[in-house]
Formats: sequence, C-alpha cells, structure tokens
Amino acid sequence: MIGQTFLRRMPSAAWVIVLMMLVFRAASARYLTIGNIVNIIQQNSILLILATGATLVLLSEGIDLSAGAVLTLSGVTCARVMNGLMSSGSSNGHAMVAGVAVGLLTGALMGAITGGLIAIGKLPPFIASLGMMGVGGSLSLVLADSTAIYVNNPVFSFFGQTLDKSIHLPLMQYLSMPTFIAASVFLAIWIVLYQTAFGRYIVSIGGNEQGARLSGVNVQFWKWMVYVTAGILSAISGVTLAARLEAADSIVGVGWEFDAIAAAILGGTSFAKGKGGIAGTVLGVLVIGVARNGLNVAGVPSLWQPALMGTIVILAIVFEIVHSRWREAVR
Amino acid sequence: MAGQSIIEARGITKIFPGVRALDKVDFELKAGETHILLGENGAGKSTLMKILSGAYAPDEGEVYIDGQKVRNFDPRVARRMGVNIIYQEFNLIPYMDVAQNIFLGRFPRRHGLIDHRRTHAEAAALLERLNMKIETHALIADLTTAEQQMVEVAKALCIESKALIMDEPTSALSERETEQLFATIHQLNRQGIGIIYISHRLQELSQVGDRVTVLRDGKFVGTRAVAGVTVDELVGMMVGRAVGEVFHRNYQSPGAECLRTENLCKGRRLRGVSLTLKSGEIVGLAGLVGSGRTDLARAIFGVDKYESGKIYLFGKEAANFSVADMVARGVSLIPEDRKNQGLALILSIAENVVISSLNRLFPAKFISRKRQAEAVMQYVEKLRIATPSVARLAQYLSGGNQQKVVVAKWLCTKAKIFIFDEPTRGIDVGAKAEIYALMDSLVKEGAAILMISSELPEVIGMSDRIYVMREGAIVAEIPHAEATQERVIEYAMGAEEAKRHQQAEMARDN
Repeated sequence: MIGQTFLRRMPSAAWVIVLMMLVFRAASARYLTIGNIVNIIQQNSILLILATGATLVLLSEGIDLSAGAVLTLSGVTCARVMNGLMSSGSSNGHAMVAGVAVGLLTGALMGAITGGLIAIGKLPPFIASLGMMGVGGSLSLVLADSTAIYVNNPVFSFFGQTLDKSIHLPLMQYLSMPTFIAASVFLAIWIVLYQTAFGRYIVSIGGNEQGARLSGVNVQFWKWMVYVTAGILSAISGVTLAARLEAADSIVGVGWEFDAIAAAILGGTSFAKGKGGIAGTVLGVLVIGVARNGLNVAGVPSLWQPALMGTIVILAIVFEIVHSRWREAVR
Repeated sequence: MAGQSIIEARGITKIFPGVRALDKVDFELKAGETHILLGENGAGKSTLMKILSGAYAPDEGEVYIDGQKVRNFDPRVARRMGVNIIYQEFNLIPYMDVAQNIFLGRFPRRHGLIDHRRTHAEAAALLERLNMKIETHALIADLTTAEQQMVEVAKALCIESKALIMDEPTSALSERETEQLFATIHQLNRQGIGIIYISHRLQELSQVGDRVTVLRDGKFVGTRAVAGVTVDELVGMMVGRAVGEVFHRNYQSPGAECLRTENLCKGRRLRGVSLTLKSGEIVGLAGLVGSGRTDLARAIFGVDKYESGKIYLFGKEAANFSVADMVARGVSLIPEDRKNQGLALILSIAENVVISSLNRLFPAKFISRKRQAEAVMQYVEKLRIATPSVARLAQYLSGGNQQKVVVAKWLCTKAKIFIFDEPTRGIDVGAKAEIYALMDSLVKEGAAILMISSELPEVIGMSDRIYVMREGAIVAEIPHAEATQERVIEYAMGAEEAKRHQQAEMARDN
C-alpha cells in the first residue's frame, strides 16, 4: 500500500527533478558530476530533517512557521552552553553532550509552547507559530548578540563533516554526518508515522478531527505532541547546521520554514485532510536542492536567485496539479 | 424476534437555554429489534440519541442499560457497555485505509508498534462476518458513500456491541446501496443487536423497522408496532394534525412558452434534449440519478457549456449564456445541495436574500441596511419564513426555511423561471407541504417551474407534465392525467424498451 501510494505520487516531483537536471546540464558541463550530485545531497540533508517535521505538521492540518526560528535558536543555545562549559574547563565531549542536549530541549520547549497555544489555547496554527517565529528569532539575536557564536570543538564539528576528515579510507568524502543524521531521523519518523499509533493519530486528526475524537483519540494531547516533535526536529536541524558551520549564526534559519513547507507540498502532502506522506518529501527537498544548486552552478546572480527559486517552486506545483488531474482522468 | 430490553430511558428531560429540547420522554430498545425514531427537525431526536449514547447528560430522568441504571454516563462508558452510535456526518479518515479506520483508537499492538497484520486480519474477519465485500487495504477516499457507511457500521461493531444508533443512514445512499444497508441491519438484528434508526423517509419504515416511536416538539407522542400503523397515522402524530393530501395543486391552462431547448448535446451526459416550459406550469423531470437531469439543469442555467443545440428564453435564443446572463433574464436555480450551493450559511437571512439583487436594490452601490431589511421583510412574510429576525444566520434555520430563503433570493431578482433540483430533499414532512404550496402559488402568479425530483409521489403529485430522462436523453413526456409511478419507473429504467425488444424478437422468430 505504502509502496503503491509512493509510486503513484513519485512521478510528478521526480519529473521536475529530471527536467531541471537536463536544463542545468545544458547550461553547465560541471553540473552532472558525481561530486556535484553528492554535494546536493549533503547540502540538503538538514533541510530534509526540517521538511520531515513540516510534513508531520501539515498532515495534522496544521502549519509551523516557527521552524526556521527554532532551528536558529537551538543552534545558539547549544553553542552558548558548549562554549560556556569548555571555558570553565569541561572536556570537549562533555560540553558537546550538554550543548546538544540543551539545543534539543530548546526545540522541544518551543514546540511545546507552540503546540500548547494551538492544542489547548485553540489558536489557529498560522497565528500561534507566526508569533513563536518572532519570539524565536528575537531570542536568537539577543543570545548571540546579533552575530555568530563560533564553536571550536572537534568532537562537535565531527557531526557536521564529511567522513574523510576523520576516517582515512577511500570514498569517505562522499559520506557525511549530516546525511547520516538526516537518514536516521527520516527512518525513525517513517516508523513513527506508519507503525505507531501516534503517527496514525496525526493523520486522523488532519483527516477528520471530529472523527478522531469520537474514535477515542485524545486529539488535544496528540496535536500538542505533533508540535513538540516538529520542535525537536527543528532543533536537530539547528544543532547539525551549527556543527557543520562550526558556528551558530543568529539569523541562519531565516526563511528555512518556507523551504521546508514548500518541500512537503512539492512532495504531494496537502494542506488539508491528512493527505500525503514523508516519502514524497524527500523528492520535494531534492526539487529545491537541485534548483538552488543548479542556479549556483549556472552562475545566476545571487540577487536573482530567490525570484527564480520562487518561479520554479510555483511551476513545479502547477505541474503537480496538472499531472495529478491527468492521472485521475487516466484512471 | 425482539427479546430483552437493552436500553430503557424513563422520563428524560433536557433543557437548553431557552428551549425544552426533551420533555419527559420514554424510550425502549429491545435486543434484536430495529426501533425507528421519527419526528420533524427540532423534535428532539438528536438530543435523545446523544443522551442514550452518553454525549449529553439528562436534566431529569434515568437511563437503564441491561436493566441497570447508569451513572456517570459518557461516550466511552456507553461504548464499553456496548452502545455505539453512527453519526450523520461520517467520522472516517479519508487518507487512511479501511482496517486502520476500523481500529483507530484501539490498534492491536506488538512491541509498542501497530500490528498491521493483525489489524488487517481482524478487519477482514469482521467485514466477512457482516457480509461486506470491502478490501481492507483500500483508502476511505476511494470508497463509495455506501461502502464508507458500511465501514462505519463495521467500526461501531468492532467492539462487543449490543445496540447501534444510526442517524439518517440512508440520506446519502442510492436505492441499491440502501437495500444493501437494510440487509446488513436485518443481519445484525438476527445476531441479537438492537438498532435505533432515525429517519425522515416514511417509506423506509416497513422495510426496516419493527417498532416506531414518534417525538414532537421534544415530547413523546407514542410508540407503535410498524406492522399495525399507517403512514397517514404517523404523519398525523409527527405534525400534530392529520395530513390528508400533501400535494396542493391548482392546475390551470398554461400561458406563453418561456423556455425551450432544442437538441441540447454535451458528450455522453446530454444527447439531444428538447423540452419546453410554459408560464403557469410545473414540469417534472424524472429519471434515475445519473440520467442527466442535473447536467441539463446546469446547462440551461449557464453553469456548464453545452456542445450543440439551442436554448430559447421567452422566444429569443440564448447561446451559451453565462449564469449572470441567465439570472438577468429571469432564470433561477434552486440547487439540491442548498447548504453549499444555495446559501451562504454564515450570512444572515437578509444578506442571503438580497445577494443576487444588490445592483437592482441599491443602484447607488451603497447598501442601506434599512432598505435591505424592508425589501427582505416582504418575502419573509410572503413565504412565511419562520424566524424572529431577518438578521438570523442562515445556518440556524431548518431545512424547509433555508429552502424558502433560497426561493426568496430568486423572487428578489424577479425571476420568472425556477429550476428546482430535488426541492424537498432533507426537509420534514410538515415543511414539505409548505414548499409544495409555495411552488403552486409561484406558478399561479405566472412563473414556470422545472422540477427535478427522485421522489415519485412528488413528481406525480406536483407536475403538469413529466419528462422522463434516461442516459442523457428524454425518453418520455407524460401528461399529469396519465402519470403513474409505474409508468415513470418503466421509462426511467428502460423497461418499455426492453419489452419492445422482446416483442420484436418474438415477432421475428415467428
């Protein structure tokens, strides 16, 4: 069943990816090299973590605009705690564990507040998460003093690197820790979504909240849990990004929430009725990754890139709509 | 057939602010029986059901289940005691499969994860036991309404169930699907399960019910055995007065032609439809669901384009006019789905009535609330829309009053041609008579009505002439005096043609 849905949905986004690759290949010979493809995957691993969270929220008929801000804030709290402990004499390992734990807790806490406002306070998800986006963004600027906090901790940095830096074997430059983390998170969320009651409750709340309630699902609690989970996923993204950049920047996550939501939508998840799934989100992330990378490789001026990215996302979604109508008609 | 008492309610009273929704109502459900709960909208059926299923607590009176008085009753307790309810709105999850829907909220688990194999195996066994041929891996979104209804039943029965409450279960079903549901109900009865069945459709009573209880204005009117009660008697109990004839028609000789279609074609939906409609007459459009009646109405009203053919309005050709063009020339459509297509539920009665006439009423483009209320009041009085104020939101009106608001909207545009699509769908018996009287008075004043209806008594009782459609074409035109239910059904289902074929073949063989 899952495989079938996957196959039925896959083509649309996959077609867009293939099409873009052909266009960019025509624009630049450097485009379709192994190195560049691996590069695309590595660069977008962190977005996949964030987009997986966005997909869960969308499946519950919600939206989380605070994802980018939570990503930033978690990186900042993680870096501050780590640096603080290291300067007071803790070992790199201990500081790393404490920092990461605080970072993840930050995400969980932010998610708990957003989710509480939505599930208990009955605020519309758009408004609640928009408010939390402002709170998170502001706290990040204050805690990082409007700049970037540099982290000099090799144990921590390991989690953001390609493996050739620590393991001296051939082909290790193609494997990176962020990709490994993203794959693990994706697998875990896959199991949560399809193999646990929590996952099914998410889909049931999005599909028919009243029906879920009358089936004995504790809608309020599980809705809250969706945002807590999304908050933790944002935090994992933020901490991993900080490890990769060896710094926690105070505005690094601005706009990421939109890439994450766009990726989920491009992958076939809908704003309503609990339609969709995380398999498509991988393709959605690739659409965004391939487009952004292609524009860079093709040498499109950076001022024009957002306009082209927006156009590509709109065209891809129009294509998805036309394609799915065509599929309905054929069926 | 009927056995011990499963549910008994004694002296139930429920008071909402300003309304006594239930007043000392008694009700009993026995094992293995289907007990029909009958009453107009607002009679208290839903409130009683909610009390019996634990969603509301009564202000007075007691509920007994299996002879034991229940305390701290709520939906979970009710379900644990074997009382389940299927609401009118479906409570299924569209993008989840059948098995998961059935077990939602109580998945079988292994090592903390959902045991999908057991979920599907148990769901399949349950569906098998209920004689339902539904694939457990199918997504709910891909099922027909009837299949979804069956999944609802299966879901309600997946735990030990003694009593099942169904709220107008057939309102969205076709005739064949309805029969399928009735078969399931009979089977459940044989297994000893008691069923409380709420319905608007009187003709269903004898097909499915053992006993019937009538409520009126929150009061208990009486319980009867279905076998020993007539429809007239029940209608009398529901409306509090004996209704001899529901259909009021004053037939008159029709006036000038106001609508004519010639050879209207649209793919397989419409194959050369020609009809005429004159002022002062009601023309019935009968046929099965999917025979093209609604497609015809939409084509005439300018909602959908047609491919070939002509439409004449008051003698002048109207070539693929838009809806706005049609409305400007006095055509109106009262759609079947009035909640979504006929009204804006969150607007007031007044706003709904004037919405299509704003330019006429307010040529200066600024809306005057006072003038609006005055304009609307005359229609409220004329159509006898029961409401304390024209500011009341449309969503709080009964089905019959909502329908009147839709008609008022078109009267306000000075419409002359009214296309009614299922005019009394989901409307109580008492209110139906009012809608019929309203339609009669419209044509008496010179309007013309084209009425699509699946209810044969309605078509026969109201129409001057009846067109019967089948597979996108008009297959018969029957004048009022010659119309019988049998004739209409024979044309609608193609029996005439089948008979002719048979005769021709026999003649050839000889």
